Amino acid sequence: MIKYHPSHELLDTFVTGQLPASFSAAIAMHTELCEICRNKVAQLESTHATSTFISSAADEESDLTADMLFNDWEIDSLICSITGNDEIIHATAAVPQAISFNHTEYLLPRALQHIALGKQLNVGKLTRSRLDLNEGAIHASLLHIQAGGSIPNHTHKGTELTLLLEGSFEDEMGTYNKGDFIVLNNKHTHSPTTQQGCLCYTVVDSPLTFTDGIAKILNPLGNFIY
Amino acid sequence: MEDDETQQLSTCLVKIGNARDKVAFATLFKWFAPKIIRFGIKTLNTEAHAKELLQETMTKVWKKAHTYDDTKGKASTWVYTVMRNVSFDMLRKIQSNKEDTISDDIWPMLDSDENSNEDAYPDHLMSRTMSVHVDQLPENQKQIIKGVYFNELSQEQLAKQLDIPVGTVKSRLRLALAKLKQYIGEDS
Ligand SMILES: [Zn+2]
Repeated sequence: MIKYHPSHELLDTFVTGQLPASFSAAIAMHTELCEICRNKVAQLESTHATSTFISSAADEESDLTADMLFNDWEIDSLICSITGNDEIIHATAAVPQAISFNHTEYLLPRALQHIALGKQLNVGKLTRSRLDLNEGAIHASLLHIQAGGSIPNHTHKGTELTLLLEGSFEDEMGTYNKGDFIVLNNKHTHSPTTQQGCLCYTVVDSPLTFTDGIAKILNPLGNFIY
Repeated sequence: MEDDETQQLSTCLVKIGNARDKVAFATLFKWFAPKIIRFGIKTLNTEAHAKELLQETMTKVWKKAHTYDDTKGKASTWVYTVMRNVSFDMLRKIQSNKEDTISDDIWPMLDSDENSNEDAYPDHLMSRTMSVHVDQLPENQKQIIKGVYFNELSQEQLAKQLDIPVGTVKSRLRLALAKLKQYIGEDS
């Protein structure tokens, strides 16, 4: 049972296509598993379509029209060149790719099918593979934690998003299951552990800082997870 | 008035999808063009990008109109999602210098016959709630259920694949089914 969902604001920005790809992919993977959010997204798409295309306010708000950028002749030739091509695009049913972490096979979610994955790096029971999205300080990764593994108590300067793809983990705030969409910010510190192992998709916009005595030695690990 | 317009747009889009109707396309183009240009300038900042957005979006509308199902939603919503996807990929190109066009993976466009996807996504064979229950099963029972019901393997094939006796497959399957019935019973 999914207990944690993206906020309304996130879903709303997602629908307009203006959320960074790393966050958009997380929401896409969540909505694939979550009917509630899938319905919300459909609703929001219809709302945005109406305000962009139908509502008369949208027409009056700006006096710019296509006529100012194109003359009639250009519009007609554009229409002709588009309709002159008889090609049709078929919706393709992607064959899901598998990805293997520590000898366990997982199906790669559809949203990640065409994103290049970096080399897997290991530290203890953690394995990380960075996604090549090139979004500056925002880093997205697949993070696999083997059964019994944990991440020491840590905090973040920015935001940490975790989408649980397989398995479950626990922290001070509770237990998380497949599909849970968890956003933490600099107010939270936590130390997740997993009994059965898990695969997460994570988005982090600044390195993690470990807060507990001995774990401070692990601060290089903060950069590893980031 | 607004309903008339909605109906008209939808009729045009269906005509394009069914009959490659160029007149219907011209109507649609002229109706959406100023609005797409306005959206493009707002989200992509320059007139050049807005023009590109218009051209790309309307090209996709022409080539994908056959996937529009007028019983499932309004034409304006469908065109909005096509435009949004193009805009997303353009933003990525501008901001991250990436030409990976991943919008169709993030917002998949499904043909009206979604059945073709069932093979690729076995989850769709069962209702979402059922697969949630399957996920609650112990790993060894889950394997059996998925093998038998999702991958349609025989119990013998499954035994061979997992390298366990057929009897074990049978008993795990029995246990798993009993548990699933229990889960469903609890829900209702
Ligand atoms: Zn949700």
